[in-house]
Formats: sequence, C-alpha cells, structure tokens
Amino acid sequence: MKPRKRTYLFLSVVALLSLFPFYYSIVVASHDNSVLGQVPPPLTLGGNLMNNLERAFGEDVHMVQGLINSLLASSVITFSQVFFATLAGFAFAKLKWRGKNAVLLFIIATMMVPTQLAVIPLFILMSNYELVGTLPAVIIPFLVSAFGVFFMTQYLTTAVPTELIEAARADGCTTIRIFWHVVLPAARPAAAVLGILTFLSAWNEFFWPLVVMNAENPTVQTVLSNLSSGRVADVSLILTGATIAIVPLIIVFSLLGKHIIGGIMQGAVKS
Amino acid sequence: MRKAAIAASLVAAALIASGCGSGGSGEQGGKTKLTIATFGDFGYKDLYTEYMKLHPDIEVVERITKTEDHHKNLITHLAANSGASDIEAIEEGWAGQFTSQPGKFYNWMDYGGGDVKAQWPEWKWRAGSSASGVVIGLGTDVGGMAMCYRKDLFEKAGLPGDREAVSKLWPTWDDYISTGQKFMGAKLPGVTGFFDGPQVIYRSVLGQQPIGIYDGDKVVVDTNPGVKKAWDTTVKAMTVGLSAKVEAWSQDWNAGFAKGTFATIACPSWMTTIIQEQAKEHAGKWDIADIPGGTGNWGGSYLTLPKQGKNAKAAAELAKWLTAPEQQAKVFRTKGNFPSTVTLYKDAVITDYKSAFFNNAPIGQIYSKSVATMVPQFMGPKSGDINTAIINGLTRVQDGKQGADDSWAQVQKDVKALL
Amino acid sequence: MFRHKLYRLDLKASPYLYVAPFFVLFLAVGMFPLVYTAWVSMHDWTLVEESHTWIGFTNYTELLKDEYFWNALSNTLQILVLSSVPQLLMAIGLAHILNMRLKGSTFWRMSVLLPNITSVVAVAIIFGQLFGRDFGLINWVLGLFDLGHIDWRTGEASSVFAISVMINWRWTGYNALIYLAAMQAVPKDLYDAASLDGATSFQQLRRITIPAIRPTIIFTVIVSTIGGMQVLAEPLVFGVGSMTGGADRQFQTIALYLYELGFSRFDFGYASAAAWMMFVIILIAAGVNYLFTRRMRGAE
Repeated sequence: MKPRKRTYLFLSVVALLSLFPFYYSIVVASHDNSVLGQVPPPLTLGGNLMNNLERAFGEDVHMVQGLINSLLASSVITFSQVFFATLAGFAFAKLKWRGKNAVLLFIIATMMVPTQLAVIPLFILMSNYELVGTLPAVIIPFLVSAFGVFFMTQYLTTAVPTELIEAARADGCTTIRIFWHVVLPAARPAAAVLGILTFLSAWNEFFWPLVVMNAENPTVQTVLSNLSSGRVADVSLILTGATIAIVPLIIVFSLLGKHIIGGIMQGAVKS
Repeated sequence: MRKAAIAASLVAAALIASGCGSGGSGEQGGKTKLTIATFGDFGYKDLYTEYMKLHPDIEVVERITKTEDHHKNLITHLAANSGASDIEAIEEGWAGQFTSQPGKFYNWMDYGGGDVKAQWPEWKWRAGSSASGVVIGLGTDVGGMAMCYRKDLFEKAGLPGDREAVSKLWPTWDDYISTGQKFMGAKLPGVTGFFDGPQVIYRSVLGQQPIGIYDGDKVVVDTNPGVKKAWDTTVKAMTVGLSAKVEAWSQDWNAGFAKGTFATIACPSWMTTIIQEQAKEHAGKWDIADIPGGTGNWGGSYLTLPKQGKNAKAAAELAKWLTAPEQQAKVFRTKGNFPSTVTLYKDAVITDYKSAFFNNAPIGQIYSKSVATMVPQFMGPKSGDINTAIINGLTRVQDGKQGADDSWAQVQKDVKALL
Repeated sequence: MFRHKLYRLDLKASPYLYVAPFFVLFLAVGMFPLVYTAWVSMHDWTLVEESHTWIGFTNYTELLKDEYFWNALSNTLQILVLSSVPQLLMAIGLAHILNMRLKGSTFWRMSVLLPNITSVVAVAIIFGQLFGRDFGLINWVLGLFDLGHIDWRTGEASSVFAISVMINWRWTGYNALIYLAAMQAVPKDLYDAASLDGATSFQQLRRITIPAIRPTIIFTVIVSTIGGMQVLAEPLVFGVGSMTGGADRQFQTIALYLYELGFSRFDFGYASAAAWMMFVIILIAAGVNYLFTRRMRGAE
C-alpha cells in the first residue's frame, strides 16, 4: 500500500483543519482582548505575545507549579492505567476463567454512569483520608479505567494469536512470563495509543482538580481557571495559558507516537 | 549519564514543588496564615502586602479562580463541610445561594459588623443577609447602572447627542421605548436594533421594583406586579422592533459593539470595560447617560467567613479592613471596581472621575447616583434560575417561537418546577 | 508433583490476580460515589439545605413525567446519530490512510489528534465565529451566493447540526488513532498478497482490515455511544454557556440537563435520579448498538 500524491493532498487538508484552531489560539494569544470584536478576525500574529506570556507566568498564577503537578499526576496515571489495563485485558482476551464475560460486562457498564455528580462523594472520601489539596487526590481516582481495560481486551483479542500463547505454555512458560514476553511486546502500538489518550484526558481533567486542589497548589487546568477569572475575561490571556498547556502534550505525543509502528507482530513471532 | 542527572533533578524539583501542598491554613512559623478565595480582579494584591506590613504576624494567601468555578467550588466545599478558605468572596448573582444557608457562615454581627454598617447603602447590606437577618457578607464593590449609547448614531438619527439632553429623553422606560421608535424610524444602515437583546432591559426594570422575585422568602413571580411590569416593558420594546436580537457574550454581541449593530445598552460600570475593548477604534463615539427610572445595579460582591475557617477572628479583621472606605478607594483608583461605600460618593475620587473613552462622561457621578437611591430587594436562593427562566421566555418571544402570553404561561410552569 | 500443582495454581489464579488491581481500586474510589448517588436519588436533597428527606422513588417518577428530560433525550439521540455514524466512518477511512507507508507518519498521526487537545476556549471562539448569525463566516459565504443567512442557535435543526459538526471535528482523529493501533496488528503480508492480486485500497480496507479489527470496531461503537450520550462540552460552548441549551432548550442534551440540575439548581437528589436514569438509557443504547454491530458481522 503505497500512498499516492492525492493521499498526501487529502492528508494536508485534514492536517490544516486540525491545526488551524491551534494556530488560531496562538494568533489570539498574540493580540489583546479586543480581538473578539474585530470583523473579519485577524489571522496573523500580533505583537502582544511576550506581554501575555509574562502575565501567564506571573508569580500569583503558579503556572510552573501547575505544569509540574500536571506532569507528575498525568505520568503516574498514564503508566498505571496502561499497565493495569494491559494486564486485565490479557486476562479477559486470552485466559479462560469462570465469570469472565459477566465481569467484563460489569466493567463496561461502569463507564455508562455519568461522572459529573461523583465530585461530591469523592471529595468527602478524600477529605476523610486528609488528601484534599495534595497531589495524590488527583491521582488516586484515575489509577485504573474501565475504558483502558475494555480497549486492551478488544485489541489483544485479535493482536495476539491464541496459538502463540499455547505454544509458549507448551514450552513451560508461566502466565506472567507469557504476559511479559509475548503479550507486552504485541501490545505496544495499542499501549502507545492508550497512553496518549490517557495522558490527554488526565491532563485535561478539569472539574475534579478544581474542587480538590487549590490555586496555591494547582494543576494546569486550575491555573487556566485562574487566568480566566475576572468579570471581563481576557481571552488573549486565557489562550496564552491554554497554548502553554498544550506544549507538554505535543512533546509527550511525539515521543509516544513513534511507538505506533508496524511490523511488531512479525518480530514477536520470530523471537 | 547526563540524561539521568537531568531526570533526577527534575524529579527532585517536582517533589519539592509539590511537597508544600497541604491546602489548609493555620499557624506556620508563628504566623497565622489566612486564605482568601476570590474570583477575579478584586485588586487586593497590593493591599495584602500593606496589611502584612501592618500585621507582621499574619500571612495572607489568595486563591483566585474563574467566577463560575469559584462559586460551584464553594457550594461543593460547604456541602462536604471541608475545603473552604478563611474568607470566601461571593458575587451578587450567586449570593442568594449562600444567604439561604446562613448556618454555614459566621454572622458578621458577632464580628463587629454592626459598627461599620453605616458604610453601605441599605440595599447592599440587606442583600448580604439571610431572610432571617443573619449577615453573612460585607460589601466590596457594586456595578451601578447607566445607559451607554452611540452619540454619533443618535445625532445621525436626528436625536440629541449630548448626554444631559439624552438623559432627559427617557425619564421612564416608556420614554425610552418611544425614543427607540424614533431612532429606528431613521433606518440607519447597518443598525439592526436600538438595544442588544432582552436580558439587560428586563434586569434593569426588575431591579427598580420594590419587590422582585421574592417577597421575604416566598417566590412571587406569578402575583407580583413588579415582575410583570419588567416582563411587559421588555416585551413591548421587542414587539415594536427595537431588539437587535443578539445574545449577550456571543460573538455577534462582541462584534456588535464595534460594528454599531445596536445603539444603546444598559451598562453597569464593569461593562464599560467590555465596550472599550471591543469598540477600541470608536473612542468618543460612545457616551453614557442616566438609566431610565434613575436607579439600578448589576453585579458587585461580598466577603464571607465560612464556619469551616479556624481563624475567624483574624479573618474578620482582614475582611473589614479590605472593605473599609479607604481601601475601596484604593481599589477603585487602581482597578476601577466601583466602591459600595456611600461615604465615598461625595469624595473627589468619585465625583471627579471621568472616562475619556466615553467622551469624558462623569461616570463616577452617574454610577453613584444610580446606586445611592436604590431600593432594597431581597434575593433568594432561586433568583438566578428564575431569572434565567424568565429571560429564556423573553428570548422565545423575541425569536418568534412563542406569543407573549404562551411564553409567560410557560415561564410560570418553569418557575413552579424550580421550587 | 509440586511443580504440577504450581502450574495448575498459576493457570487458575492468574486471571483473577490480573483483574484484581482494577477491582481493588474501583471498589476504593469508584464504588462509593455510585452508591452515594443512588442513596441521594431517593431523597429530597439540595446542596444548599441541611435537611434531606427520604422520598423513595418520587424523583424517578417525576423524571418520567418531566418533559424537559425527554426533550433533552430526544436532542441527545439526534446529535448521537448525526455525530457517531459519520465520525466512525471517517475515522476508519482516515486510519486506513494513516496506516500506509507515509513520509513523516508521526506528524500526520499526531496532527489528527490536535482538535482534541485544542483548548475548549479556542474551540468556542472559532465555532462562534463560524456559526455567528450577523458576522459569522458560514453566513458570509452563504451571503455571497445569495442564499440568505441562518440563525444557527435559534433553530432546532440548525443547532443540532452545528453541534454535530463540532463533535465530528473534535473526535474523528481520536477514533482514527484507536483504529490505527488495531490496524498495526494486522499482518502486513495479507496486504501485500492482496496488492499482488490487484485489490484496490478500498477493497483491502473492506476485505482485510475491517474483519481483522472487528473487536476494536465494537469497542469504538460502544464507547462513542456512551460518549455521545454524555456529550456536554460542545452544547455548552455552542450556547455561550447557557445551561438550558437555548431559550427553548432546543439543543439541551441530557448531560447538560443533568449539569443544570446539579450545578445550577443544586437539586442533587433529582440530578442523581437523572444520572441513574441516564445510566439505564445508555445501557439500552449501547446494547442496541452492540447487537446492530454484531448483526452486521453476521451479514457479511
């Protein structure tokens, strides 16, 4: 399957549609608040970016602290979710045990409960353990996810041939060794995608950190709420903050994105 | 090797940075730490520094979030009985949610509130109190109310442009409507309405009634002639074709200021900032006149002391100091937040205050006049939602989705469902 | 003998051990909120009042009579159909293209995810400018061809359409990436063989890729049904923060209604009942879609 020229043309259009709002965030961030009233809206960079950056990194904003907190929390959450999801996904997709289907259905069902109202009971819970205002409070509720387990189950069902596992067992491999040497390598593309999506949602988690953390010890999203305070919200400042908040995401994605590469199965079979 | 070193130092930095994260307040190194949660440009930053100089044993830490987030957060913290700051600011539009649960706050009357009461106009003081008379909030700023208008468009339409003359055009809302009809009769190009949309007019008229949504702690939307008057006035203004039908805060609304889609908007003091920003290139074309009916207010905040706080006494001292006239004057000078203390209204800080953008209008005088004579009106816990239901009803009439009577009937049904 | 026992123990216990971390953590932090909301839904419970009275299933019976709830459900289902179906179809196509041997593949792959990471504030501004009535870009283009202009927010069909466009824009790349991961596991020699047989790219997609990634397709159908039923950000942003989804509730979704009940009216009891009703409805919707997807498999 070699791509043709028009494939690249099509991809460029898609990329343009995807990139434009991001570019536009920077455009707005480089102007001031009057940008909203302009018809037609400006499409090129203005000269106010440095000024807005200075304000976004101002000492009362705690931007650096927010970035560090979010980076720590999102990394721990991503690692934990991907690992436990792969482990459970393996059990659901490839192992035989009683009650498997019922348990999987239960896990899927938990995703269907709207989460907006969980904020209050969860806060009471964290408050009982005296975790309010600390980083573990934004990490613990997200250490595992039904989404991840379901995703990995579905992926591993087709990605790892059952014969491969049986062959390994015949060689005397224990289950954990099969997981380590057969399943984990095969899971790499899916783990990278799940990692990206998990990091993304952990990074963007908004209402919960806002309630459980505070402006002195914030996450990135709470910092953005700080920036958009004021009766007259300064959109250029908000988008400056939002743009700063996206940069780490792009770095993480580029790192993980390289792992979504083909040919892994062939490699696994050979070894 | 170098990578590992960088990684290690990053982790170390992160641990240090997050280690200090216990959120509570209390004694640290002999100092009392007071937390104050606000939601915007309270303009207190320099005041904290000043206060800490005056009181070396106090450390003040401010927690700022977006208005809406701040209030939802506070409600959650009150419901969970933990997490609130020593001082929590609340905004007028949300105040009813909190004055209806006075048990969660310290009563200002127990913390020397009675001694400073005379600072505020009666209505401001009352709006920070519960129906049973527990005072939970001390007033910080107010919005006031005036009528911003496009002087140039008025003159083009054959109306007077001078602000004194314009104020005389509309002593009442009916006069405002007939002025609007004259204005629209001129059919200026690009102009689609005399005012933006129903929301601000409705709120302004309602705010001038002696009784609003609530009579005491009872909702009286169905029987109170005041609410009906606000409704009818707005409906009349829309049916004669004065509304530009733009939704407040939408993109068309923002652009409307610059493009001159509408010629007037009832404007509290904070809205002048929005007009200045969006209509940047039209400096001098906008001007400010009195609001029809003469009085009004939209916006303004209070400082409260949640009972979760453990330093009520020290917090009360700080809050009283922040809301005192001298400090309100400082905030007005640096941030423009309009003071709520009547004593300041005779001060040169206010009386001499003019806005260059608005054609040198003496906005200090205009806003203080609108605020000083206002009648107190009780805001209950559901005021905000009920107003949303009514404004939705007005919007349905504007968009031609429902007749005025049908829409009013649906509003009554919606309000009943809210109670 | 001991080895054998150990082997059997490994075989029997491992699966439970592997799913245990999920359940331990879920019981610790996930279960309590669920039970708590169920308990609250049986009460007359507002966040601003101290006393909570037990009222049994009254909240649920009232919800069944609540026309705004049904209105929100109907809006949600319309948006669901207009967003999920095109979104998943486009995502498969996009993933298929991204799975080719592209130059600069990481760039292309990551760029499709950008709509999903762009700040909601920016999304609000851009779509506000696109769908503005007086000065919006789309109406401007319509005006060039004398096609009149559309009041996007006021109309019911137009607002549902506009919101669906926003959802499709934000989530197509997200799903494409999920499909792409699954496509990585399809042995490449299958495609090479098909190419030699002269199969077109589209035929390869239909005959090789789609059958091979069926479990993942089922996954996305279920997940995007759940996501579609819970859609909140897009209607909220489209309505400039209006919790009622327009003056006539013309684009209020159930999640938005739930949000209005919980965090504008603070009627926590009623909101909790709505949340559990929503759960049941999502369960039904996901079930129907699952069966539908399975039938499609049977038909091929």
